[in-house]
Formats: sequence, structure tokens, C-alpha cells
Amino acid sequence: MEVEVDEKDLRSAGAELLTDGRRGLRISVWEIESRNRSILTSLALQQWEQNLQTCHLPEMIFGESCLVLKHVGSGTKIHFNAFDALAGWKQEGLPPVEVPAAAKWKFRSKPFQQVILDYDYTFTTPYCGSETVELDADKRESGEISGGSSGLHWEDCEEQLDVAALALKEPILFYDEVVLYEDELADNGVSLLTVKVRVMPSSWFLLLRFWLRVDGVLMRLRDTRMHCVFDESANPVILRERCWREGTFQALSANGYPTDSASYSDPSIISQRLPVIMHQTQKLRVPGNL
Amino acid sequence: MSDLDRQIEQLKKCEPLKESEVKALCLKAMEILVEESNVQRVDAPVTICGDIHGQFYDMKELFKVGGDCPKTNYLFLGDFVDRGFYSVETFLLLLALKVRYPDRITLIRGNHESRQITQVYGFYDECLRKYGSVNVWRYCTDIFDYLSLSALIENKIFSVHGGLSPAISTLDQIRTIDRKQEVPHDGAMCDLLWSDPEDIVDGWGLSPRGAGFLFGGSVVTSFNHTNNIDYICRAHQLVMEGYKWMFNNQIVTVWSAPNYCYSRCGNVAAILELDENLNKQFRVFDAAPQESRGAPAKKPAPDYFL
Repeated sequence: MEVEVDEKDLRSAGAELLTDGRRGLRISVWEIESRNRSILTSLALQQWEQNLQTCHLPEMIFGESCLVLKHVGSGTKIHFNAFDALAGWKQEGLPPVEVPAAAKWKFRSKPFQQVILDYDYTFTTPYCGSETVELDADKRESGEISGGSSGLHWEDCEEQLDVAALALKEPILFYDEVVLYEDELADNGVSLLTVKVRVMPSSWFLLLRFWLRVDGVLMRLRDTRMHCVFDESANPVILRERCWREGTFQALSANGYPTDSASYSDPSIISQRLPVIMHQTQKLRVPGNL
Repeated sequence: MSDLDRQIEQLKKCEPLKESEVKALCLKAMEILVEESNVQRVDAPVTICGDIHGQFYDMKELFKVGGDCPKTNYLFLGDFVDRGFYSVETFLLLLALKVRYPDRITLIRGNHESRQITQVYGFYDECLRKYGSVNVWRYCTDIFDYLSLSALIENKIFSVHGGLSPAISTLDQIRTIDRKQEVPHDGAMCDLLWSDPEDIVDGWGLSPRGAGFLFGGSVVTSFNHTNNIDYICRAHQLVMEGYKWMFNNQIVTVWSAPNYCYSRCGNVAAILELDENLNKQFRVFDAAPQESRGAPAKKPAPDYFL
């Protein structure tokens, strides 16, 4: 997704676009890059199945796509990728959701030798991003410490996202949306994990969204928002808000909302109709220069 | 030039027909389709195509690669509509070709050729947007009920949109289905349009959704043996490489929608060409280049999402 950016806006914000065909920019103490690539080949998919120890993965995995926000001074990276998200899915391991037709199917005569598969085909994930600290830019592969051992720590906090500041129509210096995985649930709805980012002169903001609609049964929205204001301090603070919403079609109907799936193709329009089941704000103080 | 030839030329430019023309076309198509068997016989040479999903300009690429109808004999395995932007033009062009050259193109039904599915996945909305009423959707979905369920090429290759059913062991059992109805939620007709082959089961598997069969290698072996066929050719599932063999070349998936899903996936597409001796050649092709598409790619405006 190419967006025209005003050169003047970039210059006055002290930002510069990445070169060599990379998409993204450097601004303040951050380097922000997005990559949109094709879905995995059948061969790569087999490798992922092995690595994740599963036989079932979404039909569209954008395995090479990612969004990376790197704090240049410390090598701290906040990044988003399908692999970590699917590792989260595997670990959470929710029970499967039955579709409406399942009621009828219970009365079908069973074939000889039937196996009932029971993995979470909705690919619901608690994923809220990955963190690593890149110790040495020259040793990208070996020098990374990820997750818990990286010394990065998200702590619960009382602060809320500054919605008023985010609603200001500051120029957008960089914008992109990266789809991480998608599945059509064999035409029973949609499961989609995407991350959107926008970078303004004063801050960056992103939304990682897991969106699930199982037609006639339920909808699930798991949003992670991150906001980081540029203040040139050695230790920038990232505020993270996680908000999970979930509702059944039955409950929507009881509240007088429509229950046809066509009304629920865009989660941003209907998210308010789904009750919040989890809400959490946390912050991360990015460590100083290493 | 006959009206029909003129309509075909118009549709080839991705211009939809008038509502009255659609109605007349559907009536003529119905007369042809009603005579077809649930297991429609197809002669070789023939070129087999998988899902199209309203990707009109990519289907034009398909005809460039495979040759024009009627010069090339075609078999389309369903899922003409939904998801893409040009389901109306895609389906009407295929239907017009069917009426014009009934013996040179065979259309069988996919799970998207259904009233219920098209209301969720785009074709209904597209008809409403392009015609201001749902009449064209009604004419088309009425025609869907007449589409055949499967094809048999030279008695040797069985073709179906989805796959097998535990309720079906012989082709004759398919022949007895009363197909002229909306796709049911269960039963043999549903399975033929919906089921998938699956590596990790040997016999039958039930999807974790609680509806939908998966079938393993031994099911395919026994079906092919019972019906004396070489292999099954089906569509229904996205394959990055355009086609995929399973179970020791006893079944092949053919996918004909390149760069699927609003140009996100980056997959290639394939068609399977069979010559008069049933020798196989897969022809792999890419999505139509951007400049050959009607509308220029829109650059999304920066989005002040919250």
C-alpha cells in the first residue's frame, strides 16, 4: 500500500524514508519498517507445521511479512510476525467452536472409521507483539534475545491511551497495514490477524487486531494498541492497551442488532456492539543505549 | 452478429449485460443445463479450471494461456463468484459461452454457487450495487440450482468442486441425486461441493467445526478403484503453486485464481490441460498486470485509525 507522503512534512519532522526498496522511515530514535510478502509456499508451510508441531495452519500465512519498530540506540525491537502469533494460538489451544450446521450433522450416519479433529480452527491468538533486543547489528541471527529473557518488561499501569492526541489530524508520515494470517474458515466466516501502523511527527501508533467471525455463532476481537510519543529521552515509553471483545450472534439478536453475517464484515464499525471481556494497559520503558 | 455474440463481446470487455438480457440468457442456459447429468460426460482434449472467484481480469489471463473457447474445450469446477470484484461479469461471460457453445464448455457447481453463501461473500452485494435491485442475483442463483455436480472425462478422470462423500461410493449414486435445489447443509450433494482431502486422516475425518468431511488416502484409493478411474481432479482449496497432488497422484487440486483475496496472497494459478490421450500438462499463470485491469489500483488514503 503506497501512500503519497509530503516531502516537506517529512523534512520538518526530521524523518527520512528508508531506501533500497525497503518500506518505512527513520524518525526520532526509531526505525520503522513494514514488509508485505506473499503467502507461504507449500514447502515452507510444511516447515512451519514441523516447527509449530501442528498439522493445521491458516490457509493464508504471510510468513515473511512483518512490522518492525526498532529503537536505534538500544537495539530494542517491537515486532509483529505470523510465527509468534501462531505459537500463541498453539499454546492457548481453545476448544473448537461448532458451526450451526453441526447440530444437523450430529444426526448424520457416521462413516466407518471416522476421526473427529478437535484443534482450534479459528486460530484465535493472545498474541500482542514480540520484543527482542538486537545486541549487535552485525550478528542479527545469533545476537537476539527474545521475549522474557530480553530484560524488557511490560508493567501494568493506570495511564490510558491519549485518544485526544491521536484524533488530531497531524500529517501521517508513514502508514501501512500488514496482514499476518487469514483463514476463511472454509466459508464459515473469517479469521484475520493484521497490524496497522501510522507515524506522525509527534508519535507512532499501531493497532494489532485479531478478528474472528464464525457465521451464526460468535465474533471475537482482540485488539492491541501501542502508542509511543517522541520526546528524545534516552528511555522512550511505549503504552500498550489490550482490549478483548467477544459476543455471540444470539446475544446480538437479543440486543436488537442484526444477525446476518453481511452486517459484520468490518470489525471497526461493529466493535462497540461486542462486550469487553478483557482490558489491560501496560507500559514498557525502553532501556537506554547499550 | 447475433445478439448472443454481441453480448459475449461486451462481456469480454467486462461490461455487464442489461437486466432483461440476463433474464433471457438465464432462461436459455436453463434449457441446456437441465439436460445435463449430475456426472456430466466430457470428452478430451479438455482444459480443467479451478476457482475463479470473480477475478475477471485474471480469467482473461486464463483464456490467454489456455486459448479461447470454443477453440479450447473447457471444464470449470465451480466457484465462479464471490470475493472478487467482478462476479457478475465473470459468471455471465461463462454462462454466455455455455449457451453459445454448449459442447465446448462445461460448468459444474461450487459451494459458492448458492443463495446463502453469495449473500455473505459478495455476489449479492455486487448485483445490488451494479443493478440497483436483486433481480440479477435471483436469475443467477436460480441457474446455480441447475449446474451439474461433477464431470467424468473419458470415463477416467472424475472432476468435482470439493471432494468425496461417505454417502457415495459409486458414480451411479451421484447420478440419482436430485440436484435442482439450494445446496443443502448436509448429505451427499453438500459433501461433493464442500469436502477436502486431508493428509492426517486415512479414512474419514470430521472437521472441528462439527460439519464438513475430510477424506484420507484410503478413501480415494477405494473410490478410484470402485469406479475404475485414474484420478480425481478437484478445486476448492487455495494452493500457492496453483496445483497440488496428494495421495500418490490419486487426487489433484487445481486453483485458478492468481494473487487471490484482493491481490494479497501472491499465489500463482494453474489450469490442467489434457490432450486426446489424457496426457497432462499444467499451465501456471500469474495475475493480470495492473495496467490491463479496468480500474487503476487505488492508493489508500492515510487512515487515522484509533
